[in-house]
Amino acid sequence: MNAIELLAAVVLLPFLAAPLAAWSARFNRYAAAWVAGGVTLLTLAIFSWLVALHISQMPVATSHAWIEAAGLSFGFRLDGLSLLFTGLILVIGLLIVIYARYYLSPNDSMGRFFAYMMMFMGAMLGVVLSENMINLVIFWELTSLASFLLISYWQHRKEARYGARLALAITGAGGLALLGGVLILGHIVGSYELTDVLASGDLIKNHDLYAPALILILLGVFTKSAQFPFHFWLPNAMAAPTPVSAYLHSATMVKAGIFLLARFFPALAGTELWVIIVSTVGLITFLLGAYTALFRHDLKGLLAYSTISHLGLITLLFGFGTPLAAVAGIFHIINHATFKASLFMVAGIVDHETGTRDMRRLGGLIKYMPHTAALGMIAAMAMAGVPLFNGFLSKEMFFTESVRVAGDIGPVWLLPILVSLGGLLSVAYSLRFVHDTFFGKPDGDLPKKPHEPPGMMKRPVDLLVVLCLAVGILPALVVGPLLHVAVTGVLQAEPPYYSLSLWHGFNLPLLMSAIALVGGLLIYLNRAPIFRWHARSLAHLDARTAYNRLMELLMRTGAGVTRGLDNGRLGRIVIMTLVFALLAGLVGYVQSAGLPGVQAALDRGTVEDSGDWVTWLGMLLIIIATLVTVMGHRQRLFALITMSVVGLGVAMIFARFSAPDLAMTQLSVEVVTMILLLLALFYLPQQSRRLSSPGRRWRDAGIATVIGGGIAALTYAIISRPFETISGYFLEHSVPGGGGTNVVNVILVDFRGYDTFGEITVLALAALGIFAMLHNLSLPSSRRDPFGRAWSDDPHPLMLRTFAQIILPLTLLFGIYVFLRGHNEPGGGFIAGLIVASALVAQYMAFGIENTERKLHLPIHGVIGGGILIALGTGLVAMVVGVPFLTSNTWHFTLPLLGEIHLASAIGFDLGVFLVVVGSTMLILLNLGRLTDHAIEHPDYASIEASPADRKNRGGRDA
Amino acid sequence: MTNLAISLLIGVLTGAGVYLVLRAQTFPVVLGLTLMSYGVNLFLFTMGRLHTAAPAVVGATERSADALPQALVLTAIVIAFAMTAFVIVLALKARAALGNDHVDGKHIPQADQVMDRRKEPRA
Amino acid sequence: MTDNLISLMVLLPVALSAILAMTGQRAPGLSRGISLAGVAALLVTSLGLLLGGSGNTAQVIELGGWSAPFGIVLVFDRLSGLMLVLTSIVAMLALLYAVRRDEDSAGPHFHALFQAQLFGLNGAFLTGDLFNLFVFFEVLLLASYGLLLHGNGRKRTRAGFHYVVVNLIGSTLFLFAVGALYGTVGSLNLADISLKLPEVAPDAVPIVTTAIFLLFVVFLIKGAAFPLYLWLPGAYGYASIPVAALFAIMTKVGLYSVLRVDSVMLSGNTIGGLLETTALIAPWLLWLGLITLLLAALGVVAGRILRRQVAYLIVASVGTILIALGLVTGSERELAVSGALFYWIHTTVLSAGFFLLAGLLIRHRPEAGDAIEAAPPMPHAVLVGSLFFAYAIAMAGLPPLTGFFGKVMILAAAVESPLMAPIFAVVLISGLIMVIALARTGSRLFYQSQATPGHPAHSTPRDARTPLPGLTLSIAPLAIATVMVVGAQPLSEWLETTAVQITTPSDYLDAVMPNGILLPETAPGKFGQDYPDYEGGKH
Repeated sequence: MNAIELLAAVVLLPFLAAPLAAWSARFNRYAAAWVAGGVTLLTLAIFSWLVALHISQMPVATSHAWIEAAGLSFGFRLDGLSLLFTGLILVIGLLIVIYARYYLSPNDSMGRFFAYMMMFMGAMLGVVLSENMINLVIFWELTSLASFLLISYWQHRKEARYGARLALAITGAGGLALLGGVLILGHIVGSYELTDVLASGDLIKNHDLYAPALILILLGVFTKSAQFPFHFWLPNAMAAPTPVSAYLHSATMVKAGIFLLARFFPALAGTELWVIIVSTVGLITFLLGAYTALFRHDLKGLLAYSTISHLGLITLLFGFGTPLAAVAGIFHIINHATFKASLFMVAGIVDHETGTRDMRRLGGLIKYMPHTAALGMIAAMAMAGVPLFNGFLSKEMFFTESVRVAGDIGPVWLLPILVSLGGLLSVAYSLRFVHDTFFGKPDGDLPKKPHEPPGMMKRPVDLLVVLCLAVGILPALVVGPLLHVAVTGVLQAEPPYYSLSLWHGFNLPLLMSAIALVGGLLIYLNRAPIFRWHARSLAHLDARTAYNRLMELLMRTGAGVTRGLDNGRLGRIVIMTLVFALLAGLVGYVQSAGLPGVQAALDRGTVEDSGDWVTWLGMLLIIIATLVTVMGHRQRLFALITMSVVGLGVAMIFARFSAPDLAMTQLSVEVVTMILLLLALFYLPQQSRRLSSPGRRWRDAGIATVIGGGIAALTYAIISRPFETISGYFLEHSVPGGGGTNVVNVILVDFRGYDTFGEITVLALAALGIFAMLHNLSLPSSRRDPFGRAWSDDPHPLMLRTFAQIILPLTLLFGIYVFLRGHNEPGGGFIAGLIVASALVAQYMAFGIENTERKLHLPIHGVIGGGILIALGTGLVAMVVGVPFLTSNTWHFTLPLLGEIHLASAIGFDLGVFLVVVGSTMLILLNLGRLTDHAIEHPDYASIEASPADRKNRGGRDA
Repeated sequence: MTNLAISLLIGVLTGAGVYLVLRAQTFPVVLGLTLMSYGVNLFLFTMGRLHTAAPAVVGATERSADALPQALVLTAIVIAFAMTAFVIVLALKARAALGNDHVDGKHIPQADQVMDRRKEPRA
Repeated sequence: MTDNLISLMVLLPVALSAILAMTGQRAPGLSRGISLAGVAALLVTSLGLLLGGSGNTAQVIELGGWSAPFGIVLVFDRLSGLMLVLTSIVAMLALLYAVRRDEDSAGPHFHALFQAQLFGLNGAFLTGDLFNLFVFFEVLLLASYGLLLHGNGRKRTRAGFHYVVVNLIGSTLFLFAVGALYGTVGSLNLADISLKLPEVAPDAVPIVTTAIFLLFVVFLIKGAAFPLYLWLPGAYGYASIPVAALFAIMTKVGLYSVLRVDSVMLSGNTIGGLLETTALIAPWLLWLGLITLLLAALGVVAGRILRRQVAYLIVASVGTILIALGLVTGSERELAVSGALFYWIHTTVLSAGFFLLAGLLIRHRPEAGDAIEAAPPMPHAVLVGSLFFAYAIAMAGLPPLTGFFGKVMILAAAVESPLMAPIFAVVLISGLIMVIALARTGSRLFYQSQATPGHPAHSTPRDARTPLPGLTLSIAPLAIATVMVVGAQPLSEWLETTAVQITTPSDYLDAVMPNGILLPETAPGKFGQDYPDYEGGKH
């Protein structure tokens, strides 16, 4: 494999290190640090080797399809820009690891810290090395997640949790916007690979979707790089341990946004829209940050705002959109990374050794920690842009550029003045950082007796500070090559001429620097009035309040909308469903009813529609019964009776219109259902109360009417027109194929036996479910019928018993008869099942469930299960001989006396149906009945043959 | 005319069912569901159009009704039966669990609670 | 052979259900064994069928030997195969949890109902017949009623009652729709209807479209789309944990039916030669999806207990999938469908796992259970917390887990659409809302718990045992997700071809109706034989 493929390894190694670090910490807490450091070093080595190999033919890229269809590929590229950033991430990362090893206190979990740290490093490397844009977004979001974990590292601190969530919300939002932008960009270009995207700048800038793409991507940039108005998450992120702040929130992660500006520079930059948005945002951030930094009392707070300000400065540079500005931007990225990281580490040391970061308490530390003080001062001077320090050079370039482009942005004088103001402020806060910390008197005594930190804690800072100086004095030599490579990577072309020397003669930029230095000094000297003024006026402005309000709003809307919609009422759910169904039906109708072809056809002859008064009268009666049921539904027993009338009527209609099977089924089902409902009513209030307001009742009536009307219309529309069906086939093939003359039954057991199989499963399930529900359920029962009469005392009257004894054999016989004839004439397993079941239930009722079970102990669950298995078995027989499930077979054979017997294997299937029906019906009724027994056999009714004595005292209690 | 009548009947059954399903206590809801099932079963049945004196038995009559909808309705009836059985028992369970028979388990003003012996009319 | 294996997917669970109904009471240990073995068998079989490429072209089983449209056919293609696999996976997770935490002993017949549920699900995924689909809806619903009510509890019973009533209304609606279709088109078989729709008489066209729309309403009730999802938070939020986990597949039955019926039954490009079918449903799906997603995101914000939030996350995923399905009319049709399927797999497996994780909190988090408020730390808080973090990332659609990739596929498919702007806005914003909500939840559940020294250190959780065995079950879905991410390329390719199979229904139609529309008189009898030479049985 070609060496460049190793780029993936560079990204993935830290990810592998993460769990390793966490795991190693279980043995020795410093092992985690060693793992982290070692892996970083290894990664750095591999990367340098790669660079050495490919420096000549950059940019080089490698891609493996990941989700090709969506344009996602696992692709990495190495060019100047990614080289620069990878270098920063790894080198500073290494230093931070060393620093953190000494920074973390014994009761902080090293394993977790370094695991998160490595995750972040990997994610960050992924961002800067990605070739595929979606791939880039993936790692981009990973940096947000890692930073969430790192900021909330001290979970017990409220501000840590808040800061973490704040950062995640803002940067996460940016990431999602970025995803959107990237997808659009890829759509414009037709490829998500950066190589293609960077090559097609003109295409992009002239596309209609340029603006949305640009804005979405810039949202990603600004949120990540803490640009106004999204800057406020960064100061809150300072709740993280200082190494984290130094690494993520100054050197690397917050630079990811800037990186993106540089990355897309050739593709997006230079348009008017770009210049306006980017430079404005950059300028505001630059000034706002610098101003706020001055008034921060917390060391890290000051540094955070100064970081914001410098990020604004870089953004502003890229906003200019000129190659030279880009050069300055890149240069300042390098310088800022070095001096800001050192300053954070210094702040960390101070915090670590004195126990506070509050500049109002600190002071005079130079006596106790001269070395640290020296480091702090050098870095601060770099930050202030003092000559001979690296900050000076990039700031000069920055001034030069702003003077050059000043004409294009606002009046010529405006930009130079504003940027000098910014520079001036940064001088002021740099001064404050140094002076308030290392000079003057401490205010009261400090939490700890300050002293120099352990040497290894300073080494990283030493190195960086040396760099600041080296770059500051010999820029061309030290940083020249790197800068050149990086800029080439940004512009994807040979960079324009620029000079990296200290001295460019007396010119406007030099003057501006001088003003900044002197002005800054002056401001700092008479800071007292300024601070007082600030405290009175602007101190109270805080972008967080806006954010908090937004969050509250979100929470309230969320709760409000959800509770408003889902109020947990059945009525709401049902109404929603019905109304939506109604609307959907209408939509469907309207969509097509308007079509010309339809209109033409609508006046077609309808089918012949005979009929007789009797039938109509019958239907009218059913309608009346229905309405009566509705009217009187609060008298439950009454409603039940009228409803059973309706049920019978329906059966009559089936009979009238040549569906004898349906009539019989409906009839038998009706009987069982009524028994069931009556039993149930025994445990329910006998009346329904009027709970809904008249208004609501009218609303419901309205909905009911509309739906009923709709259904009626639908029915009429359908049945008043002719149609062809597939059912002629069943008539033809019923006898030859299904071996039965009763087509309905043949359909049930043969043509569509699978339906029936599902149907009996439903029945069985209902039985099981009911059994489960009633399982050790105790119910209060009314001891009187709705009319206040006590239910019969004798639970098993003699008459019923004798009657049941006589009826049983007869009904059983009848059942078997119905079952056998089913295949050829109306009847069949189902109806037979119901008949037999009711007969048996009568037995139980008559003799009491317990005794009957003792007499003929039917394993009811067994009957149900067995029935299903038999039905299944007859179907499986077919599969054994290699034809599909449920394929029936018919045999003909002659028996003596009986003559020819014609038997369809489907009869076995029907037997299964029969058994399931018997079993289920009995299981349901008996379990309800058993409840009755419990209800009646109260402690005071010991046995079924209740003695007159108990009767009396019960009667007494009842009356 | 018959078609019109039966369409009307089906409409009424369904509408009545809808109205009762929208009531606030479990028993009326069960009644409503049962009425709905009557309605939809008749609807399904009529989809084969109405034929008099033509049972779908081979050789019984020269014309014979559309057997398929009948078979479907038979299945539908059974399923409806199973469902009714289940839901009514569920209503019982709900009353046992919630102490009243309101569909949302809300306390019903002066609704009878557990063991309503006391406040029954005297015989 | 494959035919028998396909039939096995429905026959095995029902057989086991019957057996378990008999053994269940007496031998709990045995029935656990049977149940687990059965699910394992289903998992192996379905995977075997799918990976064996059985679904690459639709396979048809003519039950009873009656050819479509007269008999009922089972159709096995990649889509149904995928659904079977998903069902088995989720079932395996739920069942293992139920057994390990002996939730199955909270009431009788758990395993019988569980197997019956699988019977219903698999039947629904395999059938090619509209009325049969209704029957299997009923099977899986009744089983789900039983399971939902398994164990006791006031809220659960109430939620159960609501769930049952809503679904009974849905079933009634289903019958109206099927009936109306039969009464006009004269058939019940999806493929047959698809072939006959263009021949519908013009005056019947309005009826047919009405019926079709009603049919989709039924599916959307099951699928829990706005405004029909109101039953879901209650049902899922109050079901016992393993049942809630199993229910992760339930909404997918509705979505599956939407996709199947839309792609097969409405592929006959016109109704009565007057109305285009291709764009009849999709636009509505898209809009409903957008609303559903947004409202569900708000629902996640509103959730006060983790289970409810997960329930709303499921609704959100329904919205996302509907959006994707709504894009099938667009130019990026295959990408849209494969994206939908990718997201589909992701959400089914992970929401099941998320419920299991919530279950651990309920049992092992002292005082608060899975209520989103500060409480003393639970055992293994760091591990559980990390798992929560992973699930949150995945469900909210952040990288590096599956939700993000599914979303990217769907968004990439949406770029072409004229509705690109609203789709991007809703998908991205609701994603952000969910991130914020879940970050809040996580910080309350795990960070603040560390931060409350006020509580007694030894405050005891409901379940004193170690949560570790349960944890492995919540890790498994994450492992699957990881595999999906790593193998995203082959997976997405496979889904792409699946999408092609779905969006070009000729495969399905030819398999079910090889000779186009059959008229009763010309149609063959069993196995194409006509009865003269049939007399005396076939074998």
